[in-house]
Amino acid sequence: MRDRQFLASPAWRRWSTDPAVPVLALISGAVAASWYAPLLTWAILGGLGGYALSGSV
Amino acid sequence: MLGVFSTGLLLGALLSASVLWLASGLAAPLPAGWRAAATVALGALAVARDAGLVRLRLPQNARQVPQDVLQRDLVRGALQFGFEMGTGVRTYVSASLPYALAAGVLLANDGGVALATGLGFALGRAATPTLRFASGAGEEWDDRLIARLPLLTTGAAAAATAAWAVLALRG
Repeated sequence: MRDRQFLASPAWRRWSTDPAVPVLALISGAVAASWYAPLLTWAILGGLGGYALSGSV
Repeated sequence: MLGVFSTGLLLGALLSASVLWLASGLAAPLPAGWRAAATVALGALAVARDAGLVRLRLPQNARQVPQDVLQRDLVRGALQFGFEMGTGVRTYVSASLPYALAAGVLLANDGGVALATGLGFALGRAATPTLRFASGAGEEWDDRLIARLPLLTTGAAAAATAAWAVLALRG
């Protein structure tokens, strides 16, 4: 069943929804924002902190 | 249902942020430069802990949110489940960055910082079920997440430490 799901997902969908995507986007955002926008930086770091708990339910 | 869950996340995260902000007055007497440096040092400690370089037991509520909250009433349950997850103190804490973030908010002693961090935390928490749903293959997505989580949590803590260092240098 899982193999069928895996094969049914187009490559672009697998890449665009990869679990690493939010981390890479937020890291890039945090590095850029830290030079110009302190509050935005904290918001992005909050996002990283929240996403880092993906393994906790 | 994802919207209700995310609303709960937001409410829970804002509650925790408010508590941290209220408590942050205790750090106010410390010089701002010291507080900024301490935040960077705690971020570095979080990186070392997630990388397995130091072993440090930190407080956590070592249990899962009971699944029956979703079985009683789906909408109310999703809101409650989201709220409890959003507080960040209701279940396991599997990464060190949230601890450093909480300490950073305490040391910042700034309502805007607490609000921004709380909002971001809720959105970051909501990204997990959103992305899992969008992938169209939840179980396979879970496997990829589990395989990459150690690297992702360490990388996130390292990036946060770098960003805090920049903020400290900029004053």
